[in-house]
Amino acid sequence: MSAGDFYYAINATFRFIHDTYGKEALIDYWTSMAHEYHADVAARFRTGGLEEVRRYWADYFAAEPGGDVQVSLTETGVEIDVRDCPAIRWLKDGSREIIPCYCEHCHYVSTAIADQAEMRFALTGGGGTCHQVFGLRGGPV
Amino acid sequence: MIGVQDFIGYYDWTFEYLRRNFGEPAVRDFWVRAISQDSQTHARELIVGKGFDGMYEYWAHTLEMEEAGYTFDRGDDYFRIDMVDCPSKGHLIKRGLAAYHDYCEHCIGWIKPLMDDAGFMIEHEHNHAGQCWWEMRRAADRLTTPPPDRGPHDVRNLPNWQQAQHDVFLNSERLEDDTDDVGAAV
Repeated sequence: MSAGDFYYAINATFRFIHDTYGKEALIDYWTSMAHEYHADVAARFRTGGLEEVRRYWADYFAAEPGGDVQVSLTETGVEIDVRDCPAIRWLKDGSREIIPCYCEHCHYVSTAIADQAEMRFALTGGGGTCHQVFGLRGGPV
Repeated sequence: MIGVQDFIGYYDWTFEYLRRNFGEPAVRDFWVRAISQDSQTHARELIVGKGFDGMYEYWAHTLEMEEAGYTFDRGDDYFRIDMVDCPSKGHLIKRGLAAYHDYCEHCIGWIKPLMDDAGFMIEHEHNHAGQCWWEMRRAADRLTTPPPDRGPHDVRNLPNWQQAQHDVFLNSERLEDDTDDVGAAV
């Protein structure tokens, strides 16, 4: 099981960059992370297709502490149904002040990963429950 | 989602991102304001409030959670940690990750400001290979040399302790002349 207290550092990192350098800098941090740190993930998705996307996220959420997330491959792509986000849950249980734009990192990071993998990404919701979809570029929505 | 299972990898990457875009002082500022004063408020509350007992409570929780290889030692005037297998640096070494030039520096970067505020000083040495020792003492208890050999659990007695570059801190200040044997057990 991973060390959930690291969510505190993630939240604090977003707040530090946002409050010190501004929102655009925070967005650049997220997209840069996706292009540099997550480049191998994007390569896996590009090579392995949607089945690799499903496998990656199913394994990923299984290794996070807590939360309730269902990952499935459907006709429209890989659907990630976040019923109880492990990060938001841990931060709330720890009585931490969550930076208001915390959930936006999923949009910016995953969109940049999907772009590199020649896929598309969409997200609706936030605040602990959301729905995310990775699909093929030009595929059904 | 950015999760916690691979946190160490992008924590290291974040240091380098900040250095590259905003300069080395931004990394130091990040360790103080984001980590010491924001992320680690739970450590701060315990150590400022309970001193040595709070240190034990905090590190017993966090090092178990991180599955570290470590021992604690407690004397009348110190609280000591010997880290034989740092999970954080070990994660990077195993995966060949080293985005930032001095990952180990982040620990003193956030712990020193906390100890300053709590009224403690730090004696510390790390070898950049996943091994280090820490002794926290009350601010009035200054040392003139590193603490003595603490016994079999003292990481300085390990045969592979003397490897890589050593950084040494005495009374919370870095010893610039940190030659290989300055912190060796005697």
